[in-house]
Amino acid sequence: MVTPEQITHYILNIPPAPTVVRETLQFVRQGDLVKAAKCAEEDPALKLYLKTLVNRPIYGFRNEVHELSQIFGILGISTAQQILYHYLLTLLVPKEWQLFTLNNHTFYDLQASLSRKWEKILRHLNLLDHDTESAITLLPASIIVCDALFGGCKIEVAQLRSVKALDYNTILYRLSKYTLFDICTLIAEKWEMSPKIGHIVYASSGSSQSAEGDELILAKWMHLLLFYELSQSPYVSAGLNEFIDFQIEFVEDIYESFMQVMEYHESNC
Amino acid sequence: MRATVKGRVAVFHPQGFLDGNNAPSFLTMDDIKATESLNVDMLLVSLKKVIFFNKNGLDVFIKLLISIRNQKHIAIGLCDYDHKKFTTISAFYGNTLNFSLFLTEKIAELFAPSNKNDSKTVLLFNEDPSQRSAMAIELFDYGHNPVIAQSKKEFDEKKQNPDIYYAIIEDTYLGLFGQKIATRVTGNAIIYTVANFLDAEIGNTFNIAYHNNSLNVGFRLFIFDAYKVVSMNVHALNFFTKLASSAAEYNASICFVGLTFEKTPQSFKNDLEDAGMMFFENMDDILKNKELLQELGGSAAVASKNVRSLNKALVNELPHFIDATVSTIAMMTNAQASKESMNVQTLDIPNSANQYASSIGFYGDVDGMIILVFPKEIAKKACELLIGEATEEEEAILDSLAEFVNIIGGRAKALLGEKKHHVDITLPRTYSDVASLMEMAQNKKGVQVNLSFEGSNFIFFLTR
Repeated sequence: MVTPEQITHYILNIPPAPTVVRETLQFVRQGDLVKAAKCAEEDPALKLYLKTLVNRPIYGFRNEVHELSQIFGILGISTAQQILYHYLLTLLVPKEWQLFTLNNHTFYDLQASLSRKWEKILRHLNLLDHDTESAITLLPASIIVCDALFGGCKIEVAQLRSVKALDYNTILYRLSKYTLFDICTLIAEKWEMSPKIGHIVYASSGSSQSAEGDELILAKWMHLLLFYELSQSPYVSAGLNEFIDFQIEFVEDIYESFMQVMEYHESNC
Repeated sequence: MRATVKGRVAVFHPQGFLDGNNAPSFLTMDDIKATESLNVDMLLVSLKKVIFFNKNGLDVFIKLLISIRNQKHIAIGLCDYDHKKFTTISAFYGNTLNFSLFLTEKIAELFAPSNKNDSKTVLLFNEDPSQRSAMAIELFDYGHNPVIAQSKKEFDEKKQNPDIYYAIIEDTYLGLFGQKIATRVTGNAIIYTVANFLDAEIGNTFNIAYHNNSLNVGFRLFIFDAYKVVSMNVHALNFFTKLASSAAEYNASICFVGLTFEKTPQSFKNDLEDAGMMFFENMDDILKNKELLQELGGSAAVASKNVRSLNKALVNELPHFIDATVSTIAMMTNAQASKESMNVQTLDIPNSANQYASSIGFYGDVDGMIILVFPKEIAKKACELLIGEATEEEEAILDSLAEFVNIIGGRAKALLGEKKHHVDITLPRTYSDVASLMEMAQNKKGVQVNLSFEGSNFIFFLTR
């Protein structure tokens, strides 16, 4: 089905971060948003992406934002870094999704929705910093990787899953000893993301025993947030609810607080 | 979302949050159609991975389950929850609860027929005496040994020794159960438990698909445990007469045990005897009488007296069955199996020690049976993807082997479907040693293909 050779090939083919994006990110990290905006101007694709994304209703700006300097100014350092990572991820997004019934709009909505809720969580936990905020951007990479690796063997996976409720992450691990989150960590390394981002996303699979302290707390919230999002109708319809194994025990102790932060009321549904 | 099928039980496994807004998205029209076409005796929704649910969310699934129960007379319900969820569900539905609740999937499986011959000892408690009795009767009818605690105190005491029980049944509820006639396997005999007044309804409650499956995988003795039958009418008589005729094609025997003719006309007995049915007073008259058991087909050696020969239709499809097997192995292991030799012969297993075997039957436009015989290590390797962590537990390996041949059966069905040949597959059967397989297959002629996988040989055998 999926072989270790295919995984190696996939990892080798992950494009490096383009120079303009790398430099823009450096300026953002240094806090120089003016230079960052100027640098981003050099990449028309990045410019278009930023304009389109920021003007989506989910970001809630009343008037259309045109200028990159404006965009960077409005976003601030953390969000600008996060959105640049989102852009990097678009380089991996397939032209056509094969495994999941997704389109790029739905995927970008998922990215945006995760980011907004993640920020809310970080504020609640008082753990908001540039890296923790950006960690959420890497999480959807697991969905892209899953679609890329399993898209060609959809029928086989369906036959396997007709006799046993195995999630894609478990199937991949049993076949290759790689998890989707291992591959996400490799992507983070390749794109020179902060190691902290890779660690949090890796631990958010819920099956890693290595995280502790704040990383463990963030991993639990990220795991539950992922399933909260993947339980939304568009993502259930896309088949995303089944892509990794939901570890209830891992998140049980934060469940009540999570529901309060998300302001989820049973009476609304 | 599609249900996973294990034996005769299908289960949906939603994850995360389940409410009125998202629940309809779990079931597309295709999913509903696929669920309706499943050939199962129980359909459940597992709440194991659901952290939040409300009544609106559950109702979406329950509506589908009830509609399927109305069509197919199968058991339906929820499973895999904790005590808190059980209390919540009970509060949601109160007196209107008309589906079953099983604490675990493992407990649910005890209330469904299988083709395994293993009686399980289980500890059972329910505050409601009528539920307690209903569960005990069902468990007994399915061939298990329920130990019933009469009080919570007794239950808590007995629970102190969990190792002696296969399962401890609590927080479980049977709702509108007994939709199907209970079935159990004893040795090579299938026992159906019938009760009360038998009328036209038996056509709905008797699981004809399971019965045909059993004939196809080699069972030849079928016993109706009729101690609790009060009487039967002419519709039931017709049903049993037809069943006897179809059994005759397979050289199978059907017996009634414990049926009295106080309220049933004596002429019915004569008619049924003419159709080939036999009557016994006690179950032990058959099961404890080895000679009779052999004569009736309860020992499979005799069952193969009337061997059905290979036919052209089946041999024509041989490449599909081999493809299905080889591609399933490739899918599950990422390694290739290659064909070494192929002959028309009776099953020949050169080295019968340390081998597992498994079989699956199919019937429809073509009918027959695939038998696979593996060295134990190769079986484990082939099932690694299903088993997960390394295990030496034979039951777990054999269960995975059953799932493995089920996938092969599914693939063969799909490949034949592409050629517009419609077939249904039976429940898989597994054998922990070759001797028990040979009892069933020794005289059958078929196509034996010796395949090589990771340096070891295994056998693919296609027969009728």
